[in-house]
Amino acid sequence: MPRLTVADSDVEVLLKPGETILGGLHRAGYAARTGCLRGGCGVCKVEVTQGSVTYAETVAETVLTPEERTSGICLICRAVPQEDTVIAPRPEFKLRCVAPFLAALARK
Amino acid sequence: MSDVLRMGYVHARVTDLARAKDHYANTLGLYPTLEEDGKLYFKGWDEWDHHSVVLEEGGVGAVKFGFKVWGADALDGIEKRAQQFGDCTVTRMSAGDNREVSDGVRVHLPCIDHTFEFYHSMTEVGLEVGTHNPDAFPRHLVGVGAPMLDHALVMGEDIDTAARFFAEVVDFYTTERAQTDLSDEHQTIAYWLSASQKVHDIALLRGENGKLHHFAFQMRDWNDILHAADLFAMDDVPIDVGPTRHGITRGETIYFFDPAGNRNETFAGGYTSYRDRPTIIWTADQLAKGIFYHARELKESFTSVYT
Repeated sequence: MPRLTVADSDVEVLLKPGETILGGLHRAGYAARTGCLRGGCGVCKVEVTQGSVTYAETVAETVLTPEERTSGICLICRAVPQEDTVIAPRPEFKLRCVAPFLAALARK
Repeated sequence: MSDVLRMGYVHARVTDLARAKDHYANTLGLYPTLEEDGKLYFKGWDEWDHHSVVLEEGGVGAVKFGFKVWGADALDGIEKRAQQFGDCTVTRMSAGDNREVSDGVRVHLPCIDHTFEFYHSMTEVGLEVGTHNPDAFPRHLVGVGAPMLDHALVMGEDIDTAARFFAEVVDFYTTERAQTDLSDEHQTIAYWLSASQKVHDIALLRGENGKLHHFAFQMRDWNDILHAADLFAMDDVPIDVGPTRHGITRGETIYFFDPAGNRNETFAGGYTSYRDRPTIIWTADQLAKGIFYHARELKESFTSVYT
C-alpha cells in the first residue's frame, strides 16, 4: 500500500488500492481546500515532491497542463499515488484535522 | 419588449462523455435526444424543443449559449443592433450549423469572451406529457427529473459592457444587481438579467473571461430541491452548496458538480418579475446574505471554483 506523507506535518496515511490523495486524507480525518472534486477546476493542485501519481479519470489539459504534470503538480481529488508519495502543499491548501478520532486511528 | 423567449440551450464541454451521460440522464433525469459526432443532446420532460443541453467531449466549461427568439423576423433587428453596438463579432449562422436548430445570429462578446446564439426555431419533439389532456408529470421520471433549463451564470472581466449589450441589443432588463456600495463610484459585481418574467435568464459575474460559473435547471418547488439533494447523496454527486435559499432572486437552490467539474444548479421559486419592477440592489457588505440567505457567509469554493 502506498504511503502518503504531507511535508512539514505529521500526516501520514497508508492508502488503499486505487485511493486518491484526497480520499486518503478524508479517511484519516483531514480536510483540505477543494473545489469541484471532479478534476475540473484545478483548485486542489499540490506539488508531488516524491513518488508518482496516475489518474483513473480523464483530466482536461486546460485544467492540468502537460508542463504541470511533468513538473509534479497534481490534483488531489483525482490523483492516485502509485508508490510512497510526498506532497508539499502551499499555505492555501489549508490542511486541517476535522476528525481527531479518525486521525488517531490512522496513526495506529 | 425583448425578442428573446428564454435561454434555449447550453453547450458545454465534458471530459468523459459516458460519465456525463450517466449524470445528466440518470441522476438529473434529462431525456437523451441524440448522440452523434462526440456530442450528446438532452431535453427536460417539460421542454418541447429537441434539446436544451449539448455536451461535447474534450475539456471543461462553456462552448456557447443559445437564446430562442420569437419569430425569424427578429433576427434582422438583433443582427443590426449588434453590429451597431460594436464591441462584438456578429455572424449569421445557417440552419443545421447546430443540429436541429434554425438559422440565426451568433455573437461573440470579447468583453467577457462568451458566445451567444439567437435562433428562432428548433425541431419540436414534444412535451413528455403531451399536449392533449396532459398529466401533471411523466409517470416514470428518472432521478431528479429536471423539467427544464432555467438560466446560466457566466463570468467575464467587463460585465458592464456585456450587460449593456443585453439591454441595447436584445432588450433584457436588470432584475437585480450586486455592487461594491451605493456611491456614484461603485463597481458592479454581478448582474441578473431577464428577457421574460423569469427572475433571470442570464447572470453575469465579474471574473475571469470565458469562464462558466454554472447553468441551472428549473425545479417545481422546495420539496423537489430536497429530493434532488437526496439523489445527489445516493449518486455521490459533489454538492457545493445547499439546499438553501438565495437572498438574490429568492430562489431555492443546490449547487453541485457534473462529472467534469462544471457546476450545475437546481433552482426553484424566485419571484415573478416584470419589466417595470424596480431593480433590486445588493451591496458588498450584505453580499453573503444575498447569495446564501441562511448561512450569510460566502463559501470559498462558490466564489473561486469555475470551469
